[in-house]
Amino acid sequence: MSILVRRSNLIVPAVQSRMISRSWMHNADAVTIDLQDGAPTAELAQVRKTLRQSVALAGKGGAQVFVRVNADFIYADSDAAVGPDLAGIVLPGVESADQVAEADSILADLEKIHGAVPRSLEITPSIETAAGVWHIREIITASPRVKQVGIDEAALAASLGITQSSEHDAFVFARGRLCIEATAAGVQPIAVADPMGVQTGHLSHEEMVNIATDSRNLGFKGMVCGHPTWIAPVNSAYTPAESLVEYYTQVREVFAQALAAGTAAAPFAGRMIDVPVDEWAKDVLAMSAACAARDAEKQAALAAAEIYFDPSVPVID
Amino acid sequence: MASTTRRLKRSGLTMPIVTPRFINNAWHRGCDYINMDLEDSVPPHLKDVARNLVRESIPVVNKGGADAVCRINHDLMEADLNAVVWPGLMMVNYPKAEYGHEIERMDAIITRLEAERGIRPGAVEIGANIETAVGVANAYEIVTASPRVRDFGGASGYDMSRDLGVEMFVDFDQFVYGKGEVELAARAAGREPRAAPFTPNITGSVSDPDRAFAEADAARKCGFRIGGGLHPAVVEPQIRGFAPSDDEVSDARWVLQEYRKLTRTGDTWVQIDVSQVDREASPRPMAADSYLGRHRVIDGYEAARAEELLQWQSLCQERDREKAEAMDRVRAAEAAESPS
Repeated sequence: MSILVRRSNLIVPAVQSRMISRSWMHNADAVTIDLQDGAPTAELAQVRKTLRQSVALAGKGGAQVFVRVNADFIYADSDAAVGPDLAGIVLPGVESADQVAEADSILADLEKIHGAVPRSLEITPSIETAAGVWHIREIITASPRVKQVGIDEAALAASLGITQSSEHDAFVFARGRLCIEATAAGVQPIAVADPMGVQTGHLSHEEMVNIATDSRNLGFKGMVCGHPTWIAPVNSAYTPAESLVEYYTQVREVFAQALAAGTAAAPFAGRMIDVPVDEWAKDVLAMSAACAARDAEKQAALAAAEIYFDPSVPVID
Repeated sequence: MASTTRRLKRSGLTMPIVTPRFINNAWHRGCDYINMDLEDSVPPHLKDVARNLVRESIPVVNKGGADAVCRINHDLMEADLNAVVWPGLMMVNYPKAEYGHEIERMDAIITRLEAERGIRPGAVEIGANIETAVGVANAYEIVTASPRVRDFGGASGYDMSRDLGVEMFVDFDQFVYGKGEVELAARAAGREPRAAPFTPNITGSVSDPDRAFAEADAARKCGFRIGGGLHPAVVEPQIRGFAPSDDEVSDARWVLQEYRKLTRTGDTWVQIDVSQVDREASPRPMAADSYLGRHRVIDGYEAARAEELLQWQSLCQERDREKAEAMDRVRAAEAAESPS
């Protein structure tokens, strides 16, 4: 089974043409052009006129491109974006399976109209209310287009009257429920936080790596990035570190030797290596290979566009 | 119907059934149960051999008074049950439980085997272990699928980590939601939750006695009564951690004594500054600087807590006696066999 590698997802406001024109430069696995909070209603018509070009531009570096549509204008916003370069839509404020089913049928129509591959466009529900958290199972199983789901923590906080602070974590339950229900349904949970709470000041590369690593260790499969500087640390945190790859390569060797000796339990460095540890070791090594493949794919996209760019050096807007 | 006798499971060793050295020595360790493993510690090519070792191993692990438990394979459930449900087996551990119908199926097979093999109907318990997100999502239907499911837990550990795609040994509680769901499902269904509050373990050590004690002590104080492990070094600290300390027992007796005084006056509660209570008195409250604090409220809730603590303590003592007697019997028999 192929692994969906979508570690970083850079979100850019639809009206910020300069940010959009540079969005492909930051080595994000995905870019989301935001029409919901990123464009005043009065400017939507103008934004939609150039949306398909914006989508193409954002994907120049091999990123998968999404648009976050307005809940009230799903058809018009999606219609303006669908084309060969669009991966899917982010659907804000989802509270019920019906909303997902409606978006599903809109995308099916648009795939037909624009000649896109049937059932290829994704829907990423964004959970922003208590009702959405409660109904999450119905929401994410309402359409096979749902591959990822996130809780927009800033929006959820606003809807619940929560003032987020680094002193306390208001979303232990909501985040836990998201990760469990999404994993149970075979959908990837993604962290949509500012980030994971509340740090508003400038975060160092290392602080972002730590935040992203914690989110990965809760079960998330990627993070929505509000700023280009987050992308490199997020990519790094969601890619198995060299030391881990080395450790799990050893684990596999130790386990193989144990099997040959007639047991599936072997002590190694103070821990007990048995079947699930070996299975996890396989997963980590597979993830490492999938990340390397995704990185090569993005490099190839840049090469095909005849762009010479070192993705390890983040471009700061 | 399952038996209503409560079997204590404060400590238990999980041992690969295919390693005779471990199985043959486990009864010396003094644990409440021994979990003969057919699952993760047994290589795939030895599964057939392994399941056929269980029947003869039941009396071996029973020798020191430990209850015999067997962890079967999720995907080989029927074949494993046929091989392991024999007189003397207390419980079958079922890993990676995900749906109620799996447990219903197990219940039907065990019911048939009990009838065929002269086992008291309902005697064999099912331990359902949640190790995947699907299992957490279906926790309530699983725990209520059979009255044989007496203890219920999981939602952490290697398989859960793997399912969520997380590293297991981190310094924060990444499983808090799933563990909470499983505990609530167990308590709502009137079954015993198997869980422990989060205590950081970034080394992943399975043999650290101090950590084992701290975890058992914390688990008991959070209302959990079930432990278990992989290494003999954690057995004694778990038994100790799950037992109330002498100070706690004295404290509970003091609480009940004060509560009885209260009921005579017709009051429903009283607050007592324990720093004013004679430290030589018996029974006496825990010291003012203990985790229970200095200003103690004595009321019906506190009396109920004290009562449960004393009941639990007497169950622990009874079980320890039972095991000690079993151990003495084995030693006497061995001495009679080889007089030297």
